[in-house]
Amino acid sequence: MDDYLVSVLSNIGVISFLALSAYLLLLTGEISFGQQAFFAIGAYAAGIATALWGWPLAAGLLLGALAAAAAAVLVGLPTLRLRGLYFAIATLAFAEAVRILLELFHYQAMVDGEPVGPTGADGFRGIRYIFESDVSPFQFMLVIWAILAATLVGFFLLGRSRLGVVLRMIGEDRVLAALQGVAVARCKVLAAALAGAVAGLGGGLFAHMTTYIEPRMFDIMLGVHALAYGIIGGLGTALGPLLGVLIDIGLLESVRWFAAYRMIVFGGLVALLLIVRPRGLLDEKAVHYIRQAGKKIVRTAAARLSISDRTTG
Amino acid sequence: MIDFAQNTLDGVMAGSSYALLALGFTLIFGVMRRLNLSFGPSIMVGAYLGTFLYVQYGAPSLVVALVAVAGAALAGIYVERLCFAPMAAGAGVASMVSSFAIWMQLEQAAILILPRHTYAFPPLSTAAPLALGPLLVRPDHLIVLACTAVLTAAISVLIYRTRYGLGLRAIINDTVAAHLVGVDVKKSLIVAFALASAIGGVAGYLVLAVDQQVTPMFGMWATIKGLIAMMIGGLGSIPGAVVGGLVLGIVEMHSQWHFGPQIRDLVAYGLLFACLVLRPGGLFGAPPAGETMIEK
Amino acid sequence: MIVHRSVRLFTAAAIAVLIGASPAGAQTRAKADIACKPTEKSLQYDCTIRLLDARTGEPLSGVDIMVGADMPSMPMAHNVRPVRATAGQALGTYAAKIELEMYGEWMLRLDLSGRLRDRVLKTLHFESNEVRDGRSGRSSPRPGH
Repeated sequence: MDDYLVSVLSNIGVISFLALSAYLLLLTGEISFGQQAFFAIGAYAAGIATALWGWPLAAGLLLGALAAAAAAVLVGLPTLRLRGLYFAIATLAFAEAVRILLELFHYQAMVDGEPVGPTGADGFRGIRYIFESDVSPFQFMLVIWAILAATLVGFFLLGRSRLGVVLRMIGEDRVLAALQGVAVARCKVLAAALAGAVAGLGGGLFAHMTTYIEPRMFDIMLGVHALAYGIIGGLGTALGPLLGVLIDIGLLESVRWFAAYRMIVFGGLVALLLIVRPRGLLDEKAVHYIRQAGKKIVRTAAARLSISDRTTG
Repeated sequence: MIDFAQNTLDGVMAGSSYALLALGFTLIFGVMRRLNLSFGPSIMVGAYLGTFLYVQYGAPSLVVALVAVAGAALAGIYVERLCFAPMAAGAGVASMVSSFAIWMQLEQAAILILPRHTYAFPPLSTAAPLALGPLLVRPDHLIVLACTAVLTAAISVLIYRTRYGLGLRAIINDTVAAHLVGVDVKKSLIVAFALASAIGGVAGYLVLAVDQQVTPMFGMWATIKGLIAMMIGGLGSIPGAVVGGLVLGIVEMHSQWHFGPQIRDLVAYGLLFACLVLRPGGLFGAPPAGETMIEK
Repeated sequence: MIVHRSVRLFTAAAIAVLIGASPAGAQTRAKADIACKPTEKSLQYDCTIRLLDARTGEPLSGVDIMVGADMPSMPMAHNVRPVRATAGQALGTYAAKIELEMYGEWMLRLDLSGRLRDRVLKTLHFESNEVRDGRSGRSSPRPGH
């Protein structure tokens, strides 16, 4: 596979985690401008674990996800009461504060006779796991997509579980949900923790993919993009955010020839799309139709099979 | 002590441009109940058009200022037509994401006009600082302060003393009822958007003229500062916007003087977070009773 | 079934990477001096690279270098299609012509393969008439305030 294609596919995979993280909160009716903070926390924690402490990648990624989830609970508790724009701006304030704290964060250790570790605004270089363990970019892409596939399976299982239904219910009307006996506060903190963990996992993968990270990478632009992916791709299914990422990175990469105008074209197209489909391409209705169509195909196929069984039998 | 006074004074000066940004922001939010992320980039488009005339043809300051304000207003109308007018009630999130997409678009357009990273911007006044007892005041800062005071007063009069303002307040109260009693809702909203963006354009012009340079980061900067000042003061409140801007300016100036620019930004975001958690309505707004951007 | 087998292979590869083979020990690490200058064409730059062994300081020749660039402010969107650097006459020197999407700060990324695998990074500030060392620090939206 072409190196460039590998890097684009890896990028798409990694940023999908962030998009899924924002999507999970959108389901509960909350807009977060701050998921990039958990992505950053995951990236730093996982990078420190493998590069400075010599942990294996899986342990590093796990630590990143846990650290991000813990941070998400810490922010989730005081912001529980906030809704809509207030919640969105509070998460933005938190994420920017995290970015600045990372600019002040210094932690170095000697590895192979060279200092390695985060050095404030200059970033964190030398996350050399893929070089030291001789993992090729293609292999690492497989890792990213394997974990993404597992995460998506998790999302589908969540969607079918009681918790998934409850989260959507809170998103629709949290007062009604509370009246139905749902422990709204607990569910929201749980959703925040899950979303934080997903972002943290993606961050860990990102750090090891690029081998260097710096606080500037995790600014508000990244967060708003992640949020936009879900809404462009559609809120009806966990594949929506992925579609959004695919449209943004994939399509933009393939139309390089008008590079200078692509944001003008793309921005306009997104605005027009949202007029027609305010809940994205794969919104609840579209997902319902696709499911119905799928069932119909299965049903007619089954009917045909049984007819042919009867005629032959 | 003199340092403290000087920092506070500088903070008021910086804060007055924040207040102006928050004023434009809050006008849009107050009327639409939706967040316009393209607010800063609209201002940037105007500023870039003005800078283009200045860099290419040496246009005088007055022309640059007029073009900056008019450009921002036109960009604001464009955003309203594309991102806000066509969206149904209940699609507040779509409006916000749409305005973000247009942010990307406007920023790229501005960069196409002026591709370099930094351009010179015509200064407001190059006169020497005035001595106010032991304190120093820059004349251009005084102009900014005066503009903020005049514009705030003018907007207050417009909203609370004119027929147009009455109509706007009726729309805020109940759009359908306002329509039924004969308010031209569509036109009122376009005018409100243009007006808010024009105020932003004035703020943008003043800030850049004080700095004497413009970079592509300006759009984002204006959105963020306006947003913080608006949220601290209270959504949709005119006095809130002014106080929020001044508080932000003063706090920033003190923390910058003591701890440098990174801690300054950290303190600003910390203040914002604390305000939201402890007093979600802001200093002046009413506490949000079921207030939400995703209207049902 | 083929699908089954590929899924199994896929999972096995992923698990192998995640658990991690033992590090191959201390390898050669590279460092590089990179200098770029604008060409006649706007947004196109000629870059010369001097590749050195980070420990011994000896020039490293015969390495396959792909030169890419990212904007630190938007890590995954604006990335330039990497170009292959060609070896120069002097030992350890290489040249590459890169084309960026806009002016401003870019992180140049040299991906080395062949003789050794490594990645060397360098932040540079690209303008229409000059290229200067990037301030790898924070980029305040507005200097001065």
